[in-house]
Amino acid sequence: MKQRFHRRDFLKAATAAVAAPYFIPGSALGADGRPAPSSRVVMGGIGIGNQGSGDQGAYLGRGDVQYVAVCDVSTEHRNAARDRVNGRYNNKDCKAYNDFRELLALTDIDAVHVATPDHWHALVVIEACRHGKDVYCQKPETKTLREGPLMVAAARRYGRVVSGGSQRVLEDYRDTVNKCWGGEYGTIKSINVNVGPLSQSCYLPGQPVPAGFDWDMWLGPAPWAPYHPFRCSGSYNINGTCWRSFTDYSGGGMTDWGAHHFGGAVFAIDCRELEPEEIAYHNEGGKEFVAFRYSNGITLYHNHPGMGNLQVVGTPGEKRVPKVVPTYKGTGGIYGDFIECVKTREKPFRDIELATHTITVAHLGAIAYELKRTLKWDAAKNEFPGDEEANRLVDRARREPWTL
Amino acid sequence: MQLKDATRATLAAAATILGTTTVLAADTAALDKAFDALKTFDWGTDYKKNRKQEEMKQSDLLGPIVDAIPATHGDAAARAELEARLAAVLSTAASRAAKDFVCRKLAIIGTAASVPALAALLSDESLSHVARVALERIPATEAARALRDGLSKTNGKLKAGAIGSLGVRRDGESVATLAALVADADAVVALAAASALGDIGTAEAAKALHDAKPASDEVKARAADACLTCGERLTAQGKKAEALVVYKSLLGGSPAKNVRLAATRGLLLASGKKE
Repeated sequence: MKQRFHRRDFLKAATAAVAAPYFIPGSALGADGRPAPSSRVVMGGIGIGNQGSGDQGAYLGRGDVQYVAVCDVSTEHRNAARDRVNGRYNNKDCKAYNDFRELLALTDIDAVHVATPDHWHALVVIEACRHGKDVYCQKPETKTLREGPLMVAAARRYGRVVSGGSQRVLEDYRDTVNKCWGGEYGTIKSINVNVGPLSQSCYLPGQPVPAGFDWDMWLGPAPWAPYHPFRCSGSYNINGTCWRSFTDYSGGGMTDWGAHHFGGAVFAIDCRELEPEEIAYHNEGGKEFVAFRYSNGITLYHNHPGMGNLQVVGTPGEKRVPKVVPTYKGTGGIYGDFIECVKTREKPFRDIELATHTITVAHLGAIAYELKRTLKWDAAKNEFPGDEEANRLVDRARREPWTL
Repeated sequence: MQLKDATRATLAAAATILGTTTVLAADTAALDKAFDALKTFDWGTDYKKNRKQEEMKQSDLLGPIVDAIPATHGDAAARAELEARLAAVLSTAASRAAKDFVCRKLAIIGTAASVPALAALLSDESLSHVARVALERIPATEAARALRDGLSKTNGKLKAGAIGSLGVRRDGESVATLAALVADADAVVALAAASALGDIGTAEAAKALHDAKPASDEVKARAADACLTCGERLTAQGKKAEALVVYKSLLGGSPAKNVRLAATRGLLLASGKKE
């Protein structure tokens, strides 16, 4: 989209490819059905190992995207991602970086997708906004409660389109969402989410760092710990064999699947723009659960005994006036929604503010479980009012030299 | 998680019903055993291969210390005793992993009493960060003072870490020191100082950023970003006249396009316009 990139790089590439006679391939003019280069969104990807490769594939498959750079701390993942891009375009133009700051310094990139482990998300997203990039960030978007408002502020400050990454919020719970927004439950009293577990401390023994893997950069702002393949595996198992299991890098299932389930729940009950005022901790015969209470009177339960996932309690016999259900813009699901918004400068379906409200719910619940007591929450101040102990858990010091 | 094991649940329930002192008396032996384990604890000590999810919990060896935190909530004497035992570990030959564990717990329950033991770690390459994990979150003014003092005892990344923590604490007393560091020849230190002033977010911090003489374009850009953050914080606090000063001073300095646009937006918002 940035004119400077397409003219200069296109001409440079074309000139190098065929010195004489000067020839412009039809594909560069959109003759292959793709939009002309000046209409394509120029993208890079940061964190391309597992989920990131899926995101890369989605963007790479779009004709209105020109994918130009990849970044990963694993040489193997980085090279594989670069080769996928070059294979797609049948050239060798894709740039590859170990350090995301080098990729973000490229002035010709319009947007990046981010699928690093969670402890990196806020740092990369904020830095991307500072460099004028739009961002698609995988869920869960934050690792701590302090990060969300800072990400939103950076996005708004620089007028960036920043989308969270859960496609399931809209796509997995359509029946529940449609009934809620359609007024079929009447006045909604509560909804329940069953998800977990919380992440755990990691005491895995150390192993030698494999060649081609930048362990210090992988850890980044997280506390130092010895390398172990389970610490940094990007697999989806939350059983102690991947980073999603461990507190330093993730909130565990509570935030990982929680981003989907809580996201679907707050969408269904139309609380996407709110955060709970109270997190009531319960322990009934050893069964722990929490109740998130919103200012509009609705309660969001987590793991309420006897309740199903996304089970709604409404007002029997009452019907309410249906509301129009928000949906994606453009074509191609959540990825297409982001690209369309990059073009139009509208807010995406998972605008970062809505996405961080969702993941805040999961963080608040985790803190209530850790402290085993009921908490009050002031969303405007991003703090637990008058609760000095709980406020200590709003954030965790980042390992030097990283700051938000 | 999500449902802790029966022992821990019972402990918590008992704490509510009976009061923490009774529980602690009953659990003293387990706590003593955990502190003994801490002496030789290291990464891998408590790790068993192929454990099931329910067995993946907090280290079994150190679990009683973890449990003691919610169990002592509201019991100042029990908390002080727990804190003293934890802080004492920091001056022993315990492993990095053990001290890492201790600092994380002091982040939740630490007071001024723990600050000397934590401050002593700030210049230790391997423990400076985990010391800050606690010092950044301990509300006592002694913790901020320790971080400020730490600036003269550290360099490079460790100094940047202490600067970052002062920023997160929004430590107004650091502004003059941080202002000078924005011009530091070490870009890591200068970037951290600029960001920290943005986190502090006061009119004084904004003026310090405006008057600073960054040594590179990278630091200059970060200082402008931090200035914008100050403007946003002032606007959010209703100090709109001070925010306007920040934005006007930014716009008067021929800023980069992205900063000019952001400052104009800030100016409009501080003037009462809506987005």
